Amino acid sequence: MSEDRSRILSLLAAGKITADEAERLLDALDTGAAAAAGPAGPAFTGDPSPLVAALPKYLYVQVNGSTGDNVHLKIPLALVRSGLKLTSLIPAQAMDQINKSMSEHGMSIDFTNLKPEDIDELIESLREMEINVDGKDGDVVRVYCA
Amino acid sequence: MNVPPAILHLVVARPGRRSVRLWLPLFLLWPLALALGVLALPVAIVADVVLLLLGRRYYHYTILLARIFALFGETRGMDIRINNENETFNLTLY
Repeated sequence: MSEDRSRILSLLAAGKITADEAERLLDALDTGAAAAAGPAGPAFTGDPSPLVAALPKYLYVQVNGSTGDNVHLKIPLALVRSGLKLTSLIPAQAMDQINKSMSEHGMSIDFTNLKPEDIDELIESLREMEINVDGKDGDVVRVYCA
Repeated sequence: MNVPPAILHLVVARPGRRSVRLWLPLFLLWPLALALGVLALPVAIVADVVLLLLGRRYYHYTILLARIFALFGETRGMDIRINNENETFNLTLY
């Protein structure tokens, strides 16, 4: 037991501080000791490969049309990430033409506003996303990651 | 970066017609792609240095080239299946 800790406990035993105050002091002591030990390491210290393997790797898009048209896409999430990151390197003039062409086709997404941190957040959000659309006429759309 | 796709499996089938099933060995194109990359790399580096010296805002052709190669590498595992009553189209990259 450290000297500070025993001093706090002795103050508590002497009735000079309450139990709540002692708890707060001990917590502050623990926090200070953790900060002094340097930056916190990873919480998981074992082999991370099972956890990595459990992460979704593919984005699935399934469209089952009522008229028999079916589209099933399986896209690696790494490809989505690389593709989005590539947009930040496309020259501005070419990017303007791409944005213009996309807006003409009904997709008004401005990729020039995408920052690397936004891309990472977007990919992480995709991992937890699931879209299920059941149309009135029997069309079914599913988008999910697995 | 993953290993680039080694095989492309393409299936195009139509009722009443002979279906097309192709296993294309993409790994045979790897040396060609590598050679193209090696040839393009110095050009991109020189272009970037010149653009940088000229004070242009954009001088990222080398990184762009590397990212394009990485993008092809990430296509492994992609699977596209489109079918209806008249046609079936499957494309898989292994």
